[in-house]
Amino acid sequence: MAGIALRRLLGAVPVLLIVSLITFGMMRAIPGDPSAIIGGISATQEQLAQIRHELGLDQPAYIQLLTWYTGLAHGDFGRSLLMGQPVLQVTMQRLPVTLALSAYALVLTLVLGLLGGIFAALRQNTWVDQAAMMFSMLGISVPNFFLGLLMIFLFGVYLGWLPTGGYIPLWQDPVGWLRTSTMPAISLALLQVGLLARITRSTMLEVLRQDYIRTARAKGLPRRLVVGKHALANALIPITTVVGIVISLLISGSVVTETLFSLPGIGQLLTQAVLNRDYPMVQGGLLLVTAFLVFVNIVVDVCYALLDPRVRYESP
Amino acid sequence: MQRALLVSLGLVAGLTLGVAPAIAAPFSCPRKGGDFVFGQEANVNSLDMMTSSSISTRNAALNIFETLVARDENNNVILDLADSVAEAPDHLSYTFKLRPGATFHNGKPLTSADVAASYDRYNRIGLNRGMFAKVAGWDTPDATTFVIRMKEVQPIFLELLSSFLAPPVIVPAEFKDDPPQQLHPVGTGPWKLADFIPGSYVKLARYDGYVPNARFEQRTGFGGYKQACFDTVTLRIVPEPGARVAGLRTGELQGVEDIPTKSVAELKGDKNITLTPMYNWWIQMAVPNTSAVPTDNLAFRKAVQAALDMDEIMDAATDGNYRLNVGLQYPNQPAYTDVGKETYNQHDAALAKKYLAEAGYKGEPVLLLTNKDYASMYNAALVMAEQLKAVGVNAQMKVTDWPTSTQTAKTNAGWNYAFTGWGSETAVGALGIMQDLIPPSAQWMPKDPNGDADLNAAYLDMTQKLDPKDRQAAWVQAQKIALERAYVLPFGSLTKMQGVRANVQGFTPFRIPRMSNVWFTN
Repeated sequence: MAGIALRRLLGAVPVLLIVSLITFGMMRAIPGDPSAIIGGISATQEQLAQIRHELGLDQPAYIQLLTWYTGLAHGDFGRSLLMGQPVLQVTMQRLPVTLALSAYALVLTLVLGLLGGIFAALRQNTWVDQAAMMFSMLGISVPNFFLGLLMIFLFGVYLGWLPTGGYIPLWQDPVGWLRTSTMPAISLALLQVGLLARITRSTMLEVLRQDYIRTARAKGLPRRLVVGKHALANALIPITTVVGIVISLLISGSVVTETLFSLPGIGQLLTQAVLNRDYPMVQGGLLLVTAFLVFVNIVVDVCYALLDPRVRYESP
Repeated sequence: MQRALLVSLGLVAGLTLGVAPAIAAPFSCPRKGGDFVFGQEANVNSLDMMTSSSISTRNAALNIFETLVARDENNNVILDLADSVAEAPDHLSYTFKLRPGATFHNGKPLTSADVAASYDRYNRIGLNRGMFAKVAGWDTPDATTFVIRMKEVQPIFLELLSSFLAPPVIVPAEFKDDPPQQLHPVGTGPWKLADFIPGSYVKLARYDGYVPNARFEQRTGFGGYKQACFDTVTLRIVPEPGARVAGLRTGELQGVEDIPTKSVAELKGDKNITLTPMYNWWIQMAVPNTSAVPTDNLAFRKAVQAALDMDEIMDAATDGNYRLNVGLQYPNQPAYTDVGKETYNQHDAALAKKYLAEAGYKGEPVLLLTNKDYASMYNAALVMAEQLKAVGVNAQMKVTDWPTSTQTAKTNAGWNYAFTGWGSETAVGALGIMQDLIPPSAQWMPKDPNGDADLNAAYLDMTQKLDPKDRQAAWVQAQKIALERAYVLPFGSLTKMQGVRANVQGFTPFRIPRMSNVWFTN
């Protein structure tokens, strides 16, 4: 097991290197630069040149890249051009907001998606199946931005059950966090619920048709044991892989949700950084998020190996 | 009301300015307490007012910091942290006496050493440090006196010093070496920083040690007699307009900026909400690139001027929230003039075609550089494109994001008209406008790097003439030239809709949401 984790960790190094190069290159390739944002539309070319010099943007790109990599080697991710704060510090302030939201959305996704998919498979072609699949299709089809706005007006304005926006950290006030995060989490989760429910349903249906399930039933095992122990345990293997992807989608999908619900998360931070051409913030922030996602995928791979002995034995 | 303490453009040399303290009862908060939560559109990246030109920074920072001189409600220069200012008879020095009783949020009394240190920092990294180009240096003869020595006469110096674009705010001397964007948020204003979570909110708390400027009775512009009535003010970042409206309706937000037009009708019917339109937020406009074909041709630019129907453009750009406005200042501003009005809102197709023929226009593409970050700019370009096509101009849209648009418009290729809004430049007065019309930052991209000699001469008079009347006459001439030679295409003035809950009193829209002298009735 440790070998699998180590191999995956080593494999992450080139991934991070490529991501850092692509991010650096793309930020330099797109037009517009931070000096114009800082100086404003009235800034003279001289002022812009001065700002660029102060920010080190007048250096050749390869020098900027080397400077950045040298900093990274020393644990320095750079300093945001517009906020003046260390990238690592800003990212670590914002990442917990996104992670907490994504975790909440993941719980909703797992509970609703797995249950919906399992019940739909067990009641194939009944109204339960139809309703679950209709609900999942709705989740896939309705843009989370639109859904979020609808919820704000329904639950926030008309019913007054939940706040329309804002954020209270989980460790500061758990109940307040739950109130401010519920609508964003539902809005973020619904697409993934739909996806997971459909995948769970099809996987379960496939497993339920296997010979060993038929054998288990023929042996007279109770239905809950057949479903819970034999069918679900086997269906979980491909579902685990999907869950890894769902986590990535939840974090990347948080951009829109965070903007809509005024949450100070990493998605909003990086969006603003791109719009403001805050190079160090985009480069460093994206690298840290990528590192986190790579880590999640390594954990998923390890879980996969735990669930499926064949993976352990087949791995070199 | 405000006493007659306008230093303004009419400053008399050799005279110490400053009047006796107000006699009438100054403003007193009818009710104190509460947390005023204001939903603001844009994120606050930094509170360093010296190195940021962003509106969102000003929204928070100009409640925390103060300057020696500021602007009043109508853009006149007023004294703020300065108790008086005396201009030497030879106009080569300004002596400021500091306002008594002013202290920083850390409790330290304000001294001239703090002013000198703040100006040192501004001179090193301040965004508009060009304002000190003619300054020889500054001295601190005693703790309450600050003297600025000039290399040469600059009649508009106080006007430049009082500009709020990126003002030289006064901070404790120990922060003079703070790097750019990292200024310690310790000022002398009625509000001190309580908490700042970038991307989420800025929380201000009443500074109990604040001594208001006794020369005024009321708040005016960025200065005057300021009182913090709320216990705290929370500037919450709410980028989504629908969420701001929802927050205002539920009362989670007690004030918001930039209400979308589609929500205005609905909010008007809500007795719990008071809409507070911020007229003259900016002048919606397009700027030609006079280095590129065919906009290098004056007759062609006049054809474009003649073709446009500003009502149609502004209606589409602002969803009906606009005022037609001749020229580059607003009627309530001291420098306003309607000279050049004959060039505005002509929508005369026949005249446009006549000018096109005169220009020898042969259907060359005319690129309208706009962006979707600002809907008003995009919509204005859409309508202008159609109006130009109607008179035979091959108008084509070039849509980018705002940073790209800004950078492209600073080059002289790849565009013919750049769409923008002049807000802060217009608000600070005619000088602010001129900075965008003359080299080195002439936005109309003159072929000749020296720009337009007549315009330059007018600008020189605006900055050098000692008599304010002469300076105003020079501005009138400058606007006449800019409009007649079609260096700018002002469409009209955009109204930005703001709103507060009905129990919020004293909230008068301004360039920034001012939190002083505002209170809850219950």
